Amino acid sequence: MSRISQLSRTDWFGPLLATLLAILVVRGFSETFLSPYNIQILLLAIAVNALIAFSQMVIIAIGQMNLSVGAIGGLAAITFAGAMEVWGLPAPLAVMLALGVGAACGAMNGALIRITGISAFVITLATLSIFKGINLGLTEAQPFYGIPEGVKAFGNATILGIVPLIFVPTLLVSIALWYMLRRLPVGRFILAVGSNEHAAELSGISVTATVVIVHVLSGVIAAIAGILLVARLEIGQPSIGDDWLILSFAAPVIGGAVLAGGHVSVSATLLGVVIVAVITQALVLFSIDPFLVQVVLGAMILAAVGLNRLRAHQPVSGAG
Amino acid sequence: MSRTRFFLSNEFGLVLLIAVFAAIFGLAATGFLSPFNLFTLGRNAAVNIMIGLSMMSVIVTGGLNLAIGAMGVSAAMFAGWLIEGVGVPWPLALAGGLACGAGLGFINGATVVRSGLHSFIITLATMSIFFGVMIFLTRAESYRDLPAVFSDFGRMKFAGYVSPLLLVTLATALVLAWLYRRTVTGREMLAAGAQPGAAELSGIRVGRMVILCHMLSGVLAAMAALMLVARNGAAIPSMAGQLGQDWLLLAFLGPVLGGTLLQGGKVSVLGTVLGAFLVTMLQSGLLMLQIGAFWVQTFLGLMLLIAVLLDKARRAYLARRNLA
Repeated sequence: MSRISQLSRTDWFGPLLATLLAILVVRGFSETFLSPYNIQILLLAIAVNALIAFSQMVIIAIGQMNLSVGAIGGLAAITFAGAMEVWGLPAPLAVMLALGVGAACGAMNGALIRITGISAFVITLATLSIFKGINLGLTEAQPFYGIPEGVKAFGNATILGIVPLIFVPTLLVSIALWYMLRRLPVGRFILAVGSNEHAAELSGISVTATVVIVHVLSGVIAAIAGILLVARLEIGQPSIGDDWLILSFAAPVIGGAVLAGGHVSVSATLLGVVIVAVITQALVLFSIDPFLVQVVLGAMILAAVGLNRLRAHQPVSGAG
Repeated sequence: MSRTRFFLSNEFGLVLLIAVFAAIFGLAATGFLSPFNLFTLGRNAAVNIMIGLSMMSVIVTGGLNLAIGAMGVSAAMFAGWLIEGVGVPWPLALAGGLACGAGLGFINGATVVRSGLHSFIITLATMSIFFGVMIFLTRAESYRDLPAVFSDFGRMKFAGYVSPLLLVTLATALVLAWLYRRTVTGREMLAAGAQPGAAELSGIRVGRMVILCHMLSGVLAAMAALMLVARNGAAIPSMAGQLGQDWLLLAFLGPVLGGTLLQGGKVSVLGTVLGAFLVTMLQSGLLMLQIGAFWVQTFLGLMLLIAVLLDKARRAYLARRNLA
C-alpha cells in the first residue's frame, strides 16, 4: 500500500498510467493502431515533438518561459537547408552551423533577460519577432528544395523497419538531459535557480551563468528539432516552428512540470509527448475531424494544470 | 506635474517619435503623406489600436491574454454566421459578435479566477480551444456574402482621408479613459490589479473584477475583428493567422510602448493609442521605403526591445531624481 502511495508521488507514475490507458483504449477500438507502420508514424511524431517539449522544459525549470522556441527552430532549419543549397556545405558542417545559430539565439535571449532584468515573456516575444523576421527576410518565405540525398535518406531510414533513425538523436538528448538534471552540478544549479533564485544566488550559484546556459541549451534543442524536421520533410520550410508554441507547453505541463520553476521531469515530459501523440493519432484513426486536434490539445493542457493543482494540495507524507 | 516630469513622460516621448518618423517618411518616401496613404494608415491604426486596448484591459489585472486573436476571429465568424446562416439583420449580428467576445472573455476570466492559475497558461489553452472549435464549426470557410454596409463602412472617407473606423476606435479609447479615471468600476479594476490582497480587504470583489476585465478584453477583440471584416468585406477564419497568433506581437507593442505596467495596476490609454499608432506608422513607412516586406517583423521586434530598454532607463532616471 505504502509502495503505491510512494509511486503515486513520483512525476512519471500518473502520466505513465494515463499513457497505458490511452494506448489500451485506442487499441481496443482500432485493430491497426499497433501495426508496425502506425508505430513508426507515432515514433516520428514523438521524435520531433519531444525535442520541442524539452526545449521549453529546460526554460520552465528556471521558472521562465520561451515564446521564441519555434522561431529559433525555424531559423536553424532554414540555416541548415540554406547552407547546403546556397553555399554547398556538406551536411555535418551545415548541422554545426545550424546548432551554432540555435545556441547564439538562446544566448541572446538569456543575456538580454539577465542584463535588462525585463521579464522573459517580453524579451522572448521581441526575439520571436526578430528571429522570425530574419527567417522571412532571408528566405522571402520561399522554401529551400536542394536537400542532399544523404540527408533525405537519414530522415526516412528506419532501424529494423520500425524505429525511425531520427528517433536516435531524440533518445540521446533525453538521456543527456536526464543525466544533467539528476547528476551534474549544472543541472542541480538550474533547479535551484528555478525554485528560489535569491537563495541560489546567496549559496554561491551564478544565476546569470545558469540562466544563459539554460537558454543556450533551449536554443540548441530547438535547433536539433528544426534540423530533424528538414530531414524528414525533405524541404527547408520557412514555416517550420510556427505551430510549436502550444506543443512546447503541452507536454511538460501534462508531465507535471511546475510553471513557477524548480520542478521538471524528463521522463514525465516524454510521457506527456507520448500521450499527445497517441491521442492525435487516435483522432486520425477514428477519422475525427483534424480541426478538433487543437481543441483536444487545449483541453488537455487545462485538465493537466487542474490535476497538478489538486496533487499539490494533497498533504505530503513520506518520501516525495 | 512638474515640467521635467512632463518631458520625461512616455506619452511625450511617443508624440516626439511619431513626429520624427512622420517627417522622415514624409521626406524619404514619396506618397507617404498622400490622402490615400493617410486613409489606409488610419484604417490600419484603428484595428491595431483596438487590439492593443484589448490586451491592455487584461494587463490591468497583472495577467495577460494570449487568446485575443482567437477570440476576435471567433466573434467575427459568429457575426458572419448570424447574418449568412441565420439571416439576422446586421446591427443585431454586430451585437451578437460583441456578445460572443464577452462570453469567451467570461470563460477565460472565470477559469483564471476559479483555478487560481496564471492567465498565461489558461489563455494558451483557450486560444487553442476557441480557434479549434471555430475552425471545426466553419469548416475553415469564409463568410463572403455580407451586406454592403460592411464594405461601405470600411471604404468610407471623411474629409478625404479620415476613416470612420479610426473615429470608432478613438471614441472607444475615450470611453476607456473615462472608465479608468472616473468610474468606480474602473478604479476597482486598477486596485484589484495593483494589490489583490489589499483590494479584497477594502471590500473590492477581486474575482469579479478580473472576470470583468477579461470580458472587456473579449469585447474589444471582437470589435477589432469586426473592423477587419469591414476592411476585407468578408469574415475570414485566417485573418489573424494560425490560432490568432499574428495579433500577439501587435497586442503587446501598444501597451508596452505606452507605459502600461505588465505587473498590473497602472494603465495609460493615451500611451497605448500612441504606441499602437507609432507601430502602424512604422509598418507603413518601412513598406513604402521598400526596405522589404519580409524584414518589417524584425524591425517591430527590435522596436519592442528598444522600447522596454528605454522605459527602464527612464524609470531609473526618474527614481534617482526622486520624481516618480
